[in-house]
Amino acid sequence: MADTHSPGPGAAGIDLTQFYQVFFEEAGENLATMEQMLLGLDLTHAGDEELNAIFRCAHSVKGGAATFGFADVAELTHQMETLLDKLRRHELEPQTRMVDVLLAAGDALKAQLARHQGAGGDAVDTRALIADIAQLAAGGAPSAAGAAATGPASLASSTAAAPPAAPPAASGERLLELTVGPLPDPATADNLLDLFKEIAELGTMEPLDAGQSADGMRRFKVVTRSSDNDLLDLFTFHVPREALKLGPLTPGYGFHRNAPGAPKEQADQGYGFFSDAPGAPIAAAAASAAGQAPARSEARAPVSKPAERAGTLESSTLRVSVDKVDQLINLVGELVITQAVLAQTSLQLDANQHQQLTAGLADLQRNTRDLQEAVMSIRMIPMSVVFSRYPRMLRDLAAKLGKKVELVMQGEATELDKGLVEKITDPLTHLVRNSCDHGIESPEERIAQRKSAHGTITLAASHQGGSILIEVRDDGRGLSRAKLLAKARERGIDAPDTLSDAEVWALIFAPGFSTADVVTDVSGRGVGMDVVKQNIASLNGSVEIDSAEGYGMSVKVRLPLTLAIMDGMSIGVGDECYILPLSSVVESFQVEPGMIRTIGSANRVVQVREEYMPVIDLEGVFTVPRSEAQDGNGIMVIVEAEGARVAVLVDELLGQQQVVVKNLESNYRKVANVSGATIMGDGRVALILDVGALVRLSRH
Amino acid sequence: MHSILAVDDSASMRQMVSFTLKNAGFTVVEAVDGQDAWEKASTRDFNLVLTDQNMPRMDGISLTKKLRENARFKTTPILILTTESSDEMKQKGRAAGATGWLVKPFDPTKLIEVIGKVIR
Repeated sequence: MADTHSPGPGAAGIDLTQFYQVFFEEAGENLATMEQMLLGLDLTHAGDEELNAIFRCAHSVKGGAATFGFADVAELTHQMETLLDKLRRHELEPQTRMVDVLLAAGDALKAQLARHQGAGGDAVDTRALIADIAQLAAGGAPSAAGAAATGPASLASSTAAAPPAAPPAASGERLLELTVGPLPDPATADNLLDLFKEIAELGTMEPLDAGQSADGMRRFKVVTRSSDNDLLDLFTFHVPREALKLGPLTPGYGFHRNAPGAPKEQADQGYGFFSDAPGAPIAAAAASAAGQAPARSEARAPVSKPAERAGTLESSTLRVSVDKVDQLINLVGELVITQAVLAQTSLQLDANQHQQLTAGLADLQRNTRDLQEAVMSIRMIPMSVVFSRYPRMLRDLAAKLGKKVELVMQGEATELDKGLVEKITDPLTHLVRNSCDHGIESPEERIAQRKSAHGTITLAASHQGGSILIEVRDDGRGLSRAKLLAKARERGIDAPDTLSDAEVWALIFAPGFSTADVVTDVSGRGVGMDVVKQNIASLNGSVEIDSAEGYGMSVKVRLPLTLAIMDGMSIGVGDECYILPLSSVVESFQVEPGMIRTIGSANRVVQVREEYMPVIDLEGVFTVPRSEAQDGNGIMVIVEAEGARVAVLVDELLGQQQVVVKNLESNYRKVANVSGATIMGDGRVALILDVGALVRLSRH
Repeated sequence: MHSILAVDDSASMRQMVSFTLKNAGFTVVEAVDGQDAWEKASTRDFNLVLTDQNMPRMDGISLTKKLRENARFKTTPILILTTESSDEMKQKGRAAGATGWLVKPFDPTKLIEVIGKVIR
């Protein structure tokens, strides 16, 4: 569908495919808004403004889809629009069933749009959905009782052709317009002509637009007595159903008689001019033309709708590709490094002799930092982008589990780097799903425990220092200390009764420790919390659990605001400098002689309090000689990743600092045990250690 | 050169209309809804106003009424773009003082054809 068609030599000569991308983005936004508004709709007190806004979403998608030739999307939105139109006119009362069907239709539209964008897959079958919507739209309108005499079954077939069939003429013969395309080869459409000619009783068919049009679409005038469905079935011999559109032959515009500016001819061709309106192109009866119509409208007070925020937002935003922003961030990263190098170099100069230079460098430092912050903020998007998917998900999940769940969202405006937002979505979804599945009890159980029948899940985001804190909290049954301990022992995990609560809760992060077995009796997907923790750790984040049995549970996820800058601990080994992500550092201490023991041939371990952990010798990993003086002593840095701890043996701790992360793979090649690189203030390149890889290394 | 005020809340429609009209040699000013259009119309004149009907804040009919109340727009052709081709919409347009209507979807060729009938 997204194939480009060479623009025909039509008057405008315009290739419509160039507008597809904007249409897809816009349709996506409209569908998301519609879903959000449907979920928030108060069925008993639905406001006019809300119903209108929902209608407008469907309406807007339909208009675009019809214009740009996505017939299937236009067909489905047309049905939705019909139902929504009746709702906003209060001809029908909103029902839960309507919301359900409209939500399902929204999903189908997303699938259709994804397909048009080249996602592949089979055509979405929307016949049942369309029939459902049509039935609901017909159901409540008393005046439509006669018109809707046809049962649901026949509705399904008659609505399969959109727009609705043209009214039959007296003779039973109808004048239709068939639109074909877009097709990879528009000439295929001519096969339809031949096909039509072979079957005499069908009627006549001839090309419109001289068989050519600007947008790669072909139009035909069809005079026939056959039904739309019969025709479409026939045509699908040569052309896919979604590339066919059958409707009444209309020109699509008109002028009002005597309207100012209206032209002389008055053919009804889908547009029109009002004969006495201002601007109509004729010669409307000279005297009245200019005065009459406006005079009439002066009597009316202009009706304007209450302000809505969506309208103005668009004119003040700019769509830019992520690539461009990333390039900018990269350049600023380089600038920060250059600035740091200059600052370091200037330290060797006598400040008194180079006052101007020093002052200039100080300005440069401040401006660079401001610039960096400003550029980073471009990539920041609000958490609402992630949160917005949960109302729908919880609604469906709660319905399936027979639970009543209310979702409270706080701090949706909190901003986070786009890259992180994409990566945090899955772990958060697991957490929210877990809360609903395993945390919240059934309404009966809740009432028995003197809780409200509705469980509450709270999603909260806030900024705390240089990181973002996302909390998933529920008022469900919480974690059971006794059950967790029992379960851990069953798994062979050493879990004495003396463990603190926090340590007990942390047990659910152990690999293969399904929360489902412990927390609830509901069988189902007990999502491994170890996976959640690993995913968050790979983003340099951390997870914390708090719970009280019978009262609920809270999972706090802490993340850095961006992946491009990282808090690091710089360590020295010999002449080399390495960076450890600060979030993975647990503690560090001076190595005393005899602390390190060798097990087997070459495996070394160190005892820290009660725990033995493997020693990673960076000297061996990167084959850099350690400085002689330090040999045997040095400093041990305990780091944690993937639920395990290892001790890294280094010569010295150089300090903590923010580093700009450079991708090594794209600049050089993948290096084992290294996740990236950065440039230090003195111009040296320092490798950023991949703690997860070091932990895995220690296992072999 | 003739200037046209193109009003639509849909960015893709706006882009398509604007591109088509510019291609045909018109100067185009875009507005995102009736209110925006009204503000833009208060600062300069246009040879034609092409407006969508269903928009947030101010719809096409209300915009038409407001424009007609202004002496500068008494005779300017105003075309309302609408997917609602019903007689009801046409009558509302007529009462508001619109010059004519154009049913969506339309293709670029048709747009130029219709505009050619009112602007020369």
